[in-house]
Amino acid sequence: MSRKPAKKPAKKTAKKTAKSAARKPARKPAIAKKAAAKKPAPKATAPLRKGASDLSWNFKLLAHDTLAGFGGMGEGMAVQVAKDGRRILWLAHESAPKNFTGVDVSDPRKPKIVVQTDLPQSHMRSNSLEITGDIMAVAYQTQKTGQKPAGFELIDISVPEKPKSISFTDCSGPHSRGVHQLWFCDGQYVHMASGAPDFKPTHELDDQFYRIFDVRNPSKPSEVGRWWLPGTREGDNEAPPERHQKPALDKGFRAHNTNVYPERPDRCYLGYIDAGMFVMDISDKAHPKPICRWDNSPPYTGFTHTVLPLFERNLLVVTDESTSNDAADWPKLVWLLDIRDEKHPVPISTCPLPPVDAFSSRGGRFGAHNIHENTPSPHCWHSDQIILGTFFNGGLRAYDISNAYQPKEVGAFVPPAPALSPVGAVQLNDVFVDEREIVYTVDRFTGGLYILKMDF
Amino acid sequence: MVGYAASRLTHPTNCVVWVRIMQELFPSPAAGRFGRRQKRERGARIPVTVITGFLGAGKTTLVKHFLETPEGRGTAVLVNEFGEAGIDDALLRDSSEKTVLLGNGCLCCNFRSDLQMALHRLVVDRERGVIPAFGRVVIETSGLADPSPILTTFATDRALGAEFFIEAVITVIAAADGDKTVKKFAEARRQIMLADRIVISKADIADEDAVDTLTARLRQLNPRARVIAADYGRLDPRWIADAASAREGAAFFAEAAEIEHTDKVKSFTLTEDTPIAWEPFARAMETLIALRGADLLRVKGFLNVAGCKGPVVVQFVQHIAHPPVELAAWPDADRKSRVVFITRDIGEREVRDLLTAVRNLAGP
Repeated sequence: MSRKPAKKPAKKTAKKTAKSAARKPARKPAIAKKAAAKKPAPKATAPLRKGASDLSWNFKLLAHDTLAGFGGMGEGMAVQVAKDGRRILWLAHESAPKNFTGVDVSDPRKPKIVVQTDLPQSHMRSNSLEITGDIMAVAYQTQKTGQKPAGFELIDISVPEKPKSISFTDCSGPHSRGVHQLWFCDGQYVHMASGAPDFKPTHELDDQFYRIFDVRNPSKPSEVGRWWLPGTREGDNEAPPERHQKPALDKGFRAHNTNVYPERPDRCYLGYIDAGMFVMDISDKAHPKPICRWDNSPPYTGFTHTVLPLFERNLLVVTDESTSNDAADWPKLVWLLDIRDEKHPVPISTCPLPPVDAFSSRGGRFGAHNIHENTPSPHCWHSDQIILGTFFNGGLRAYDISNAYQPKEVGAFVPPAPALSPVGAVQLNDVFVDEREIVYTVDRFTGGLYILKMDF
Repeated sequence: MVGYAASRLTHPTNCVVWVRIMQELFPSPAAGRFGRRQKRERGARIPVTVITGFLGAGKTTLVKHFLETPEGRGTAVLVNEFGEAGIDDALLRDSSEKTVLLGNGCLCCNFRSDLQMALHRLVVDRERGVIPAFGRVVIETSGLADPSPILTTFATDRALGAEFFIEAVITVIAAADGDKTVKKFAEARRQIMLADRIVISKADIADEDAVDTLTARLRQLNPRARVIAADYGRLDPRWIADAASAREGAAFFAEAAEIEHTDKVKSFTLTEDTPIAWEPFARAMETLIALRGADLLRVKGFLNVAGCKGPVVVQFVQHIAHPPVELAAWPDADRKSRVVFITRDIGEREVRDLLTAVRNLAGP
């Protein structure tokens, strides 16, 4: 996610939430208070719309929930099946005041909020979460370096209504904003994009790097390894990387997604924003080593976000993230790479975007962001034939990549602008598909959760 | 390699070339011999219903009623006019989400490019938000249209087959004078023979005898199609909007024996109880297409291909083969291969002999 708020109205909202949050004295992150989950969503007289923009093609909308009026969602989505059989979808919020929300989606047509928690500080955001069994890891990032609390928390969610903090790991520091993204899928290690108290970057935007924590004792996580792009830390022998075009495209040489899969536990698939992507050898977790790097920018516009390996197909799916409004950073794409030779990834195609001129003026961002990541969980759908991605005002898109040279769009869902959206358009931010093939997608500002069925 | 594969999709064996290339380069255990297994025959493509019928049969009334039902919501209608006055178009425009009037001519003659352009424009306009979202297309052909060229247009990826899928050809025929029309006009007979479903319209103003006579005549011409009588153009909308059932989709109202219709048109169903090998079947069809493609009016069916999990849907229209589609699962317990042939003067025996000869040459 970009650091800057999208538009003026968003700033207003941020000020409001900051005021209300400031009244709360809590300092520890924790799951703090259970918020008023029953509070009704504010009703708008009419949704803001800029034309007949909604589209539903081969997706069937089962339910839409604005999450008690706190429908600004981040990029953390995971499903837990609780001991009593209920299926809980856990969602990270994009920004304060909310931390995370648990939604009972056992009946996908009737989602019910079971818990919604507050952040202790208005300058925090949770943004990312993952689950293994009944333990959830949540990332905490602050708006500015030096602020607290920043780090990650392990939470016992065995009783979904009563999440209990197991531990909080402090990653704050004079040059750190904490953790932006984390990956926790084996119950043993948390991989993350994080700053650290002892890390001074050569450029303020390069503060978050790849860190690995051993959480086999969840009460006492301990760092076991880290890697950063040479030249981004003070004292490195290498020269700092050449910045992307300032100011619009200079987003930082720092880590984003840190995906690790059981098929190759010795590999981390690392998105590194303006440095492109890396496949990392983590067979020795104390000394992660890059195996290859692929960087599309320049001439493209940077911000490499996610790297999804399709192991049996020898393919990588790599996403950019659009971070500028009105398609100013177009094109932001989903790329397919041939990785038959792991050291030499070759881009072979991109997933076709809808026409930019039809979306650039709808409001907010337009372009690639998150994709369904085949998370190694029994409650996650896995496919190496279909890619689902969110494209902000371009909505949710599904692509058939059975012919990897010619990805073909097979479904789209672009809902109308959610009520009170500050940009006047939907901004679909993330997507997760459970093993029942139910699709969950979230809006970045106010739209909350959309639950869909794939119909292709 | 890819260009080669894409450019020759119209031949049965080449339909699967790119899949083989993909499996060699980027293998996926989830993919079958024919690519990604689909939940349904049309996959992600937009369903199209083609409404044919002779002049004055009541096609427009039928479409108009359909558009007024909940099932008709989100339907784009394309009307192919024949004549100076756009009466049909004026009638429909009020009620449909989007109506496009094609050129002043007959779909089967010179205006197939109009159809292609109109349908592509619809998809682009939908994506751009210029028109409301639609999930189905109904094409009302002119009274004189032969459905075959329309079916051909939808058969290839290069034209419309990549984005659209003909779910059903519905022919409308008026109860009172239908029998006479069929006797007199070859175009009307062709419309009946190629239909998946036949609607006897204006049954409310015709004698009961006329309906019975016409029904018998229709059964003779096309025993595979479902026939229904409609009063005042009203019809259960599922007749138009529903995907065909597995049996109907493959036109598997199997005939007991080959039937010869008028105009040398024959129809028959090939069935096989045991799984078949794909290669000899595809080669036999290539030979048939090469030698007698123009006389293959419509060939459609399910194959139980050795090594495939689900049935493989095959479809041929004259010289063109649709890319075969493997479904994720069989719709019922019946695992027989069954393919319906509607041909001009090609008999069952000739097709069977060809298939047997190719199989023998191919060896075990």
